Amino acid sequence: MQDATVINGWPQRATPTTMPFSAIVVLSVLAAAAFAGWLPLQVSIVTLFLFAGPHNWFELRYFLMRLPVRFGRSRNFFLTAFAGLGVLTLTYVSLPFLYNATLWSEEAWYVVVASWNTALMVWLALLVWLRSRQKPRANWKWTIPVALALCSLNWLGPDLFSLAIVYVHPLIALWFLDRHIRRTRPAWSRAYRRCLWLVPLVLAVMIWQLSLATPLADNNGLFWRITQHSGAEVLPQVSSHMLVSVHLFLEILHYAVWIIALPLIGRIGSARFWEVRTVPIARHPKGFPRIVACALAFAIMAVVGLWLGFSVDYATTRDVYFTIAIAHVLAEAPFLLRML
Amino acid sequence: MIKTLLVLFILLTTISTVNADVPKPKTPDKAAKQVLRTGLEIVPDPKVYEAKLQIGQSDFNVLRASLDGNGGNAPVVGGIMFSAPRTIVAGLLMFMAMSVAGVLIARSSSVGRAQKTVGAVLLVAVLLGAAAIITRGNAGPPPSWRWRNLPQALAEGKPTLGGVEVEVVADDQLNGRMMRLIIPLKKQNSPGEE
Repeated sequence: MQDATVINGWPQRATPTTMPFSAIVVLSVLAAAAFAGWLPLQVSIVTLFLFAGPHNWFELRYFLMRLPVRFGRSRNFFLTAFAGLGVLTLTYVSLPFLYNATLWSEEAWYVVVASWNTALMVWLALLVWLRSRQKPRANWKWTIPVALALCSLNWLGPDLFSLAIVYVHPLIALWFLDRHIRRTRPAWSRAYRRCLWLVPLVLAVMIWQLSLATPLADNNGLFWRITQHSGAEVLPQVSSHMLVSVHLFLEILHYAVWIIALPLIGRIGSARFWEVRTVPIARHPKGFPRIVACALAFAIMAVVGLWLGFSVDYATTRDVYFTIAIAHVLAEAPFLLRML
Repeated sequence: MIKTLLVLFILLTTISTVNADVPKPKTPDKAAKQVLRTGLEIVPDPKVYEAKLQIGQSDFNVLRASLDGNGGNAPVVGGIMFSAPRTIVAGLLMFMAMSVAGVLIARSSSVGRAQKTVGAVLLVAVLLGAAAIITRGNAGPPPSWRWRNLPQALAEGKPTLGGVEVEVVADDQLNGRMMRLIIPLKKQNSPGEE
């Protein structure tokens, strides 16, 4: 019988062997690469339809699990996080409306996009600085020149920088999983990090095999949107087959981590993840059970609404989703910093 | 008086003759204007009877915008582009990044002199690398790399995909032809040929 201890609200269990875990991770990575390289457009449509909404629900629940009842010393950190999250999301969502309402030149739009990316980098640097103040032993000053250098590169190629965010974001889930494993199942941490080396290897093989592949047929609106989202217009010299496959591979890993790996490994709330009381800020005497319940219920309705939208008009719903989904991309930053 | 007029007539005639022998000054070739950078696929198809040039709607829109004068100086899609304001901002930010990094390295007490030297060398290398990327605007392999197997692919009936720059040139530079496709291929010597 295994002893279960609780560290920071997360059950921790001892594990005798890491072999099954490693085998599952390796098989998952290889299967994701195989599907992504085989039928990228079709698998992309099915994957987004099935998992986009649920993964957002699990992410919301995970963030609620990580939210303290009282901000205390982290008050400035969370205020900055939520303020930046709101402002950046609103401005990002307003960009398509602004694009339709104005007749700005291409260069003007590059400046707008570069400005938004710079605001994002400044917000991230501010969060890192606020977090580093809570960790006296940590020396995170090096992030300032790195952030400035990234801002500089962003101004040279705003569209390339935005595309980089699209490709880097799915990898953040692997970082979350790493931190979570270190907290809940430290015995698996080494095996997991070894398995992670497979990701760049698989990516290298995919790029090598698909770089000269015939471009995907983007002769209808939906296929065109998928190739554009993967960067076919920004990188016209690169095969769109490779771009869509690589992006899809990363997206599948991202969804697998949030929907399967994190809930199962953490055994969130003894596997009763649908119960509101398993969320610490809802369970706490000074907590907010009604707000948490409303948030999770609203998120479930949003997931159902997303499925209905995909069923009625997949292409439009896809556009709307990827615009609004910037909120969950941004929200990952403060919660990841809290785990470092 | 008559002699004077005669001399003047001869002189003018001579000048005209000399001028007539001078070849017409060659007008300098008008520089080609790059209007689009996109991808090109060359596909051998045994089922068609006429060569076709297909262009995407988005690329066509960019071409049309360029012809209308709305395309800016160089509507290069994809890649690092030159723009004075953005380049200035990028340069300032890179300067600040390098300055802050240098100060942090210099003030770091836990780093030895040798490590500081290595750090400084690395910073300079990164700076030079970034400058090279900015000036060359092409961090990957040369665009000609993708066309290297074109003859073999054509012989085998396989498609070849590579980058292409669409340029608008003066009519007289095309020697009466309407379009010209220039592929960056080097002549490959046969095994016994020097």
